[in-house]
Amino acid sequence: MSAASLRTRRSIAVSLLLPLALVAATALVGANGTPSLRDTVITVLSNMIIVLGLQVFIGNSGVYSFGQLGFAAAGAYVAAFLTLPAAFAALQVPGLPHLIADAQLGPLPSTLIAAVACGLFAAVVGLPLMRTSTLAVPISTFAFLIVVYNVLANWEEVTGGVSGLVSIPRTTSIESAALWASVAVVVALVFKWSASGYRLQATREDEVAARSLGISVNGERLLAFALSGVLCGVGGALAVHQSGVLNPATFYFGATVTTVTMMVLGGARSVFGAVLGTVALSTVNEILRGVEGGANVLGIVSIGNTPGLAAIGVGLILLATMIALPDGLSGGREAGELPLPRRLRRARAAALPALSGAAPAEKIAHDGELRAEGISVAFGGLQVLRGVDLTLRRGEALGLIGPNGAGKTTLVNVLSGFLVPDAGTVSLDGVDASGRSPSRLAHAGLSRTFQAALPFPHLSCLESVAVGAMGVGVGRRRAVAVAAEVLDRLDLRKLSSAPAGSLPPAGQRLLGVARALATRPHYLLLDEPAAGLSEGEGEQLVEILGGVLDDFGCGILLIEHEMSVVMSLCPRVQVIDDGATLRVGSPAEVQADPAVVEAYLGSSYPVAIGA
Amino acid sequence: MTELVQNLIDALALGSLYALIALGVTVVYTVMDMMNFAHGEFIMLSAYALFVLADMPFGVAVAGALLTGVLIAVLAERVAFRPVRRADLSAQLVTSLAVATIVQNAVVAFVNARPKSVATPSFVGETTQIGSLSVPNLEFVTLALTAIVLAGLGWMLYRTRSGLAIRAASENFDMARLLGVRADRVIALSFAISGALAAVVGVLLVMQTGQVSATMGLTPVLVGFVAVVIGGFGRMSGAVIGGLFLGAVSSLLGAYLPAELVPFRDAIVFSLPVAILIFRPHGLLGSATGEARV
Repeated sequence: MSAASLRTRRSIAVSLLLPLALVAATALVGANGTPSLRDTVITVLSNMIIVLGLQVFIGNSGVYSFGQLGFAAAGAYVAAFLTLPAAFAALQVPGLPHLIADAQLGPLPSTLIAAVACGLFAAVVGLPLMRTSTLAVPISTFAFLIVVYNVLANWEEVTGGVSGLVSIPRTTSIESAALWASVAVVVALVFKWSASGYRLQATREDEVAARSLGISVNGERLLAFALSGVLCGVGGALAVHQSGVLNPATFYFGATVTTVTMMVLGGARSVFGAVLGTVALSTVNEILRGVEGGANVLGIVSIGNTPGLAAIGVGLILLATMIALPDGLSGGREAGELPLPRRLRRARAAALPALSGAAPAEKIAHDGELRAEGISVAFGGLQVLRGVDLTLRRGEALGLIGPNGAGKTTLVNVLSGFLVPDAGTVSLDGVDASGRSPSRLAHAGLSRTFQAALPFPHLSCLESVAVGAMGVGVGRRRAVAVAAEVLDRLDLRKLSSAPAGSLPPAGQRLLGVARALATRPHYLLLDEPAAGLSEGEGEQLVEILGGVLDDFGCGILLIEHEMSVVMSLCPRVQVIDDGATLRVGSPAEVQADPAVVEAYLGSSYPVAIGA
Repeated sequence: MTELVQNLIDALALGSLYALIALGVTVVYTVMDMMNFAHGEFIMLSAYALFVLADMPFGVAVAGALLTGVLIAVLAERVAFRPVRRADLSAQLVTSLAVATIVQNAVVAFVNARPKSVATPSFVGETTQIGSLSVPNLEFVTLALTAIVLAGLGWMLYRTRSGLAIRAASENFDMARLLGVRADRVIALSFAISGALAAVVGVLLVMQTGQVSATMGLTPVLVGFVAVVIGGFGRMSGAVIGGLFLGAVSSLLGAYLPAELVPFRDAIVFSLPVAILIFRPHGLLGSATGEARV
């Protein structure tokens, strides 16, 4: 029995080796070139580390930060302070504490200290910043960049002010730059493929669905923000030990645009893209800089000294990428995920991840209940729920039905923590859970699906489902095994390596159920799983769900307005209408209740409803 | 007492300027859900029109600046922003960053790299004595222009068909389209308004500093963004209040900070949004409406 895995060994190897080869090739070009080319290549490699730092946060979270160069600046200043000869330090930055000014470390310890310092700095800065909305992060991070610049430029006795520092030891060799870049590649890939990396990518793909799986959006973002700070700090430290001079403008607006362009050009979701984009844009940039100083292109067009041309080029490339190639050169894929030449395709198909022999999931003890009491919710003047009670026991399937607008989804939103009710309490296995966040509830064993499928389009089906388990803290390896089992159980195994976004609607809906099941819920709330599906698809889904109930032993709350779906699956049904409970009972009892018939069909409709 | 009143008038004037910037950013945001980084470059380019038309009568130069602001905004929308209209917010933000970079460096490359001084009517450089107060005329000009712009914008949004189209589109763009609002026209119109607002700010900035430079748009656009964050996204009223608040804080810090901390005023001002967002994640006026619906 071979364990399931998210990718083949081959794919992992290629994803690692291709970017590393590109780093090595870049270094070789520099090592064999003129001294000025050498310097350029060292700069390219230190930029690459910063771009990888951007990728770690922006690429995985999908949230743009324009403040990461502030950490590169911090790294550069720290590294410069720690290596500046004491005599120069006393002259240039008299206000610097003696302990730091007198320190005269080598390149390695100073870079390491800069890395740690920037990681801590980013964690402290990120703590408030990551609390703000997805929309506000780009702006507040840009504000942070300005704050850093303003302090560096004006705190003269410590930073040297606008004119900055000179005579910093130039110790970055091409070998050390290439080595650090390689480390950064590995770090970025390992993070991306870690449980934490997957949780963060899930928040990028769909924030709401991610929260329902137990993922703390702010927490995952903060971790990546700090790691990004570490990489940016290393990049800054290496850069300053290459140039030997430093001022506040080195890592400011221009550098931010350039590095963001490199990441976007390569494809933000991909580590390989970060490497590729850095090399590609640097090459173009070097050519443009040559032209900027006045050049004779092909002996035909002669261009005078035109500053700003390289920056225009960067801007045009960024614009063209956004319009024509939004996924970048890599298409957002890692090297091992790129489309293969036809010759190799057969071999790859045969190497699809094998799933484990689907040992049935361990049964969960059939006690405890999810209980809501007196739930009331009003939206503005509209009273949507008026004191609704609901009890869902483990191992039972409860149908929640009611006409459109009865308040079914609002009740599910309250139960799952997405909405705080105006009145009423929710308890989970006897413990008060009112006001808990969706992710905390998921950890406590409550999961849900949505009326829309909310897929993670860029993750494979296996990854999407594994994220469900990772969301509630299961380690990566175990999460993949759980996901494989769940996929097997829902008959989705053959699709495990397909991107979730490529599935038809019915498949995405089923995948949503699989994702929720992977959190190993004690209670699963399914909000109209059959909505938008054809009758046949709906019936098939219900059949599968019936099996799930037996296998997983969780309590299922099935919300539907199609009565027939509920009647076949749920021995107990609760009918709500106009925000209040109309009837709780067996399907037969409910169907026979005239009040229910009236709510559904209007008083003048004489025919009994249901299947 | 006199000093306090003086400082308050200064604060109100700077706040008005910031409000105009934030409004320019918001007019586009409400319709297109895009934070336009290039707004600062619209301001910068309008200011350059004054520099280029310096030999003309000042009124003509100002008209030229307005025209420039409107044209560059409409052009940028047509060429750069329309193709990414359906992309997500981050992609649009990055696209506008690209436009900003291109416009700014085109000025560096093809006009001039260094700041240039621009003559403005001597009237705006003088001060008016009111009792013991001496108020720079520029502050009167700023306040008057802001009042005119707010009144004009209000009239346009609430009393004209085009204004109704913009408000409808800002409530629900797709629904407005289904009801017959022409998307291209509404978006182009909101960019034109945004460009005109940028031009007003550009003219005021030139009057204030007496010079133009290629990088003069960076700080204003960030001020505008921060004001929008503080006020709450997507509301005209939020933009005005956010701008007034930010300008007032900045101005009063300049007046009352100890001398050795004055250079760090920007650092303090730009830390404000973070401080505010910690306690009110959706801005001073904001509600949770910006959050994803479940």
